[in-house]
Amino acid sequence: MANIDAKKTSVKRKHSEKEDAAPVALELSGLEMLTDEEDEDYNDSDDGEVDEFPEIDPSSDSEGDGLSEEEDGEEDDEEESDEEGYSSAESEINKRYVYFMSVFGIALRWPAKATNRVGDIPMHWYDDMPHIGYDINGKRVLRPATGDELDKFLATVDDPDSWTTAFDKTSQQDKNLTAEELDIIQRLHAGENPDANYDPYEPMVEWFTGKGKEEIMPLSAAPEPKRRWVRSKWEKQKIMKIVRAIRQGRIVPSKPKTTSKFEFYSIWSSEPSSSAPPSLPAPKPPLPNNAESYNPPEEYLLTEEEKKEWEEKDPEDRERDFMPQKYSSLRLVPAYDQFIKQRFNRQLDLYLAPRIQRKKLNMDPNSLIPKLPSPNSLKPFPYYKSLRVQHPKGRARCVSISPDGAWAASGDEEGVVSLWEVNVGCEVKRWKFDGKIGSVEWCPRQDVSYLAVGLEETIHFLIPPNVDNTVFAQTQSLLAPATLPAAGPTPSQVKWTSTSASSWPNDNPILSLGLPPSSGTPTQLQWHRKGDYVASVSTGGAQNGVWIHQVSKRHSQAPFKKIKGAVQLVLFHPTQPHFFVATQQYVRLYNLAEQKLIKTLMPGIRWISSMDVHPSGDHLIVGGYDRKLCWFDLELSEKPYKVLKYGILFSV
Amino acid sequence: MGRLKQKGKAGAAKNFMTRSAAVKKLQCSLADFRRLCILKGIFPREPRNRKKANKGSSAPTSFYYTKDIVYLAHEPVLKRLREHKAFAKKLSRALGRGEWSAAKSLEEQKPVYRLDHIIKERYPTFIDALRDIDDALCMIFLFSTLPSTARLPREIVENCFRLAAEWQLYVMHSHSLRKAFLSIKGVYYQAEVMDQTITWLIPYQFTQSVPPDVDLRVMLTFLELYQTLLGFVNFKLYTDASLVYPPPLDTKKDDMAAGVGAFSLQAAQAQAKKSTEKVKSVSIDGKTVTGKDVRQTIKNISASGPQQEEDAEMLESEDKTSEEEETFVPQASHSQVASDLPTLQSLNSLPVSTSSNVFAPYTFWLSREVPRPIFEFIIRSFGGRVGWPQSSGSGSPFNESDESITHVIIDRPPVHKDETPAQRELRLQRKYVQPQWVVDSINAGKSLLEDTYAQGKPLPPHLSPFGESAGAYDPTSHPEGDDDVDMSDVEQGEEDEVEDDGEEGSDEEADTKKDTLEAALASVSEDPASLRAAELAAEAAGMDYGAFEAKVKSAKKGASKLSKASEEVEQEMNKMMMSNKQRKLYEKMKYSQQKKTAEKEKLESRRRAIKKAKADN
Repeated sequence: MANIDAKKTSVKRKHSEKEDAAPVALELSGLEMLTDEEDEDYNDSDDGEVDEFPEIDPSSDSEGDGLSEEEDGEEDDEEESDEEGYSSAESEINKRYVYFMSVFGIALRWPAKATNRVGDIPMHWYDDMPHIGYDINGKRVLRPATGDELDKFLATVDDPDSWTTAFDKTSQQDKNLTAEELDIIQRLHAGENPDANYDPYEPMVEWFTGKGKEEIMPLSAAPEPKRRWVRSKWEKQKIMKIVRAIRQGRIVPSKPKTTSKFEFYSIWSSEPSSSAPPSLPAPKPPLPNNAESYNPPEEYLLTEEEKKEWEEKDPEDRERDFMPQKYSSLRLVPAYDQFIKQRFNRQLDLYLAPRIQRKKLNMDPNSLIPKLPSPNSLKPFPYYKSLRVQHPKGRARCVSISPDGAWAASGDEEGVVSLWEVNVGCEVKRWKFDGKIGSVEWCPRQDVSYLAVGLEETIHFLIPPNVDNTVFAQTQSLLAPATLPAAGPTPSQVKWTSTSASSWPNDNPILSLGLPPSSGTPTQLQWHRKGDYVASVSTGGAQNGVWIHQVSKRHSQAPFKKIKGAVQLVLFHPTQPHFFVATQQYVRLYNLAEQKLIKTLMPGIRWISSMDVHPSGDHLIVGGYDRKLCWFDLELSEKPYKVLKYGILFSV
Repeated sequence: MGRLKQKGKAGAAKNFMTRSAAVKKLQCSLADFRRLCILKGIFPREPRNRKKANKGSSAPTSFYYTKDIVYLAHEPVLKRLREHKAFAKKLSRALGRGEWSAAKSLEEQKPVYRLDHIIKERYPTFIDALRDIDDALCMIFLFSTLPSTARLPREIVENCFRLAAEWQLYVMHSHSLRKAFLSIKGVYYQAEVMDQTITWLIPYQFTQSVPPDVDLRVMLTFLELYQTLLGFVNFKLYTDASLVYPPPLDTKKDDMAAGVGAFSLQAAQAQAKKSTEKVKSVSIDGKTVTGKDVRQTIKNISASGPQQEEDAEMLESEDKTSEEEETFVPQASHSQVASDLPTLQSLNSLPVSTSSNVFAPYTFWLSREVPRPIFEFIIRSFGGRVGWPQSSGSGSPFNESDESITHVIIDRPPVHKDETPAQRELRLQRKYVQPQWVVDSINAGKSLLEDTYAQGKPLPPHLSPFGESAGAYDPTSHPEGDDDVDMSDVEQGEEDEVEDDGEEGSDEEADTKKDTLEAALASVSEDPASLRAAELAAEAAGMDYGAFEAKVKSAKKGASKLSKASEEVEQEMNKMMMSNKQRKLYEKMKYSQQKKTAEKEKLESRRRAIKKAKADN
């Protein structure tokens, strides 16, 4: 077959490249040589190898059979040559092809017209084409004209033979079946042999048996070989081996039956095989209670509604797997129909249910409630309003109590700072400023008395009226000394201005300092506990707004060049030169003396609203707008020691 | 830096195995795997995190410990199962080819597996086995009564019957039955063997049918294990009691439906004699065989002689006082009264002997409608003699006309019929009781009054001897509503006393006393001292007791209301400080408590309603 393919391709090549004659000739000669070889093969196969290849090998075997068929092919060729003149090579190929086809048992019918030679392919590939394939010359076979459905119908009516047609896929048209074909179909339909010439009832020809055909002489006159009447040595050896094995008891002829009775013995008299502890025993089913009795107290019986509810429930959801019943005597108790089912369920539990060891809590639930001191024991705490003072107009933004507790200062949005007497609640003094008051804070020193007021980009220092003379003098000497302290080496952005001592007392602040422009309102003023330093936090400005001012030296400095995040609050450490800075989410602790970051606390609050430190300096609480209060132990960790959840916290 | 940790190589991913993975690893079918799991007692485990154990999948599967599966892989039974699979193939091929002799020889060589090593593995000590024998007993008793079918071979049923009978014989012999309970499901028995409490349930004697949704293969696999287990346990129990195991079966008696009586207990030494005597006599006879045993028994007799006499005395005294005692419902134990000089030994042995020999002085006759296996077992376990009519099976030691019968257990309504004087006398000699009397008596540990259980009388409720959980409704307790009358009587008495005291005092300082009374009333609280003080003050003021009581009550109510309200508020505040976990736990516990109390209250109210309805009628 490979040969034929090669020939085909060579022919094609010859058609396309006519100048390439020499190789074709070579190949043709090769072809002839090949046939010679085949003949040789055929001769060789005489040696008895034919039996080994019952399958037909078209390229080598059964050349002899092919002879007659080749003749047929030649006849066919003649027909073909009538229609179209083939070159000798082509006719040779055709012959080969026919031979090949006949070898494979394919029925050959040479049509009068060009046959479609596309082979056994799905014909729908040509559905969109004008042709339905190619003939042997590679020319297109055009699609036969087909009428519409009506035409087909008319054809079936007109043509009396139409019912003996079949659709031929390759030619894409209906073809009349020949008489032989119809005969085959009829035979197949009747369940007969399709071959008309086959006779199933042929008389048997007896070749070897019967009268006069008996053989008198044996076929071979060779004497009987010795092995026919002497026993095999090797067989004897094998048998003796088995015999010896049986004698020695290695092979027991019939094994004793394995179904001997199982005997119990004292299994627990020996030590356990493994030292591993046995697996936990399965939990025992609960013991029956009164409701399961055949004669329970009447109160255990179910009412009608309960019975209905029990019956409607899924068996798995029922609290009891039985319905309490009462029988007046034992002889009336019927069989329990769920007995086997419940045993089965128990076994399913035993081998299918995962077992978990649960700790059984045998405790009073009230012991879970934490014991807190009674609110009564925590008294006194404020639980009623004693005094209420009202700012004239506008909202009060800040309030501060003097260190001795006698005075309260408040500032509002309109720029009014009022001084209140705490006990009575009367307004003692009122200052009026331009702009919103951001914060008011008393100086914590006891020997002097003044308060700092932060409003837009300025901080004013005010001396309240009605102070003791010595205190007043000391305050005045502090805030407006006769000799101003020497200015720092670098000119600061902050301007310290004081009204002269002679023009005082009046309503003006005795000392004021202007923060750099566009720094925003100082919303927090935080005094150091010694009263010399005051830190201010300005918000809403363009620059970052943490400043530390030293009142005695009239010196201001910004401790941080740049801070990540918007500063919310600052706080002085009560004992050490440390400084807490709270941005929106973090609290940073700086050492002011060494000017470096000590640690960053992470409260986990979205927006810090307030912060305070314990007087010992070890504990810090931070409140947020998201209802959380974090308690830090500064020695422990950067995460909160405890988080409490309350309402929104504004101050701590 | 160490090696990188790979996913799925450690932790839950390695320790757990899904069921399909296990089957794949063991290379057996799912049915074989199930059988192995049942036999070896391997059950699924719940991983802490299912996703981690199943390669991130949260599909519903069951997990096993990988170690358990590896342990299964070395199981000899698994090998046998594989051999059986090959055997089944060979057999079916031989049958298909019609090679009958080959099939027969194959069938003779059928591989069988033994489970003794599994019993030893699962129950390293005898106590372990006894602790886990409840389910085995239930199953074996159930299967001993099932009809044999194609799926349930006759041999299995017979073997189960034999094992069950052996167990019952042992329990009867050792008097180890403690409690019994007639429930609607069947009869619960509780025995104490080797200090292990063993409870099992036997269905009533009706033909059980296996429902279609029950997989009998699973039950039979369990039964296989349980048969082996109970066989070994019985062997150990019998040999420890120096009895022959297995007890010989009298097939003739068995054919006559003698039940348990078809087996005869034999002492180990007397095996050669093949004596077929009754349980008790056998155990005594067995010890008198050799000279050594004779000496031993003499020693025993001399040790237990006085005690036995004591017992006998006790029984006599009980008999004598039985007529007088019948008026009292609660019967005091007479052990202390009867024994003048109790030794430590006798004290130790007394409670057991009394409770396990409740029926020792009695002889019972079972009426034909009484289920014989149940009551024969119970009565013989508690030392009674029992006989039954021929219709309940053969083997009754005496017949109905026997003079020694003291009790007839009868479960049918009384019928008046003419009787001869002799019959009448016989009837009057005996006590006719309903079956519940037997069970209630053994649960009470003494023989109860027969009158309440007499034939045809409505029975008192049969309560569970196993008790209810703590805090549950107790039908035997008397609720407050019932006791009101008694309480008021007591109060009346107290009042009289108080009035007597009051007369001794003087009425002069009435005004001042009134003030003190007010103060005392105000300070009245739960503690009795202040109440007493207030009472005295009221006496002094000459106040009427009724008025005083009312005042105290109102004062108490007000105070308690206030304190309760404030306490509740505080409790709520404290609850706020609970962590989420604690709160959930608290709420769960509270929920279950409330459920319990609601159940209890429901039962109590129902009881009151029933009582009221009865009183109205």
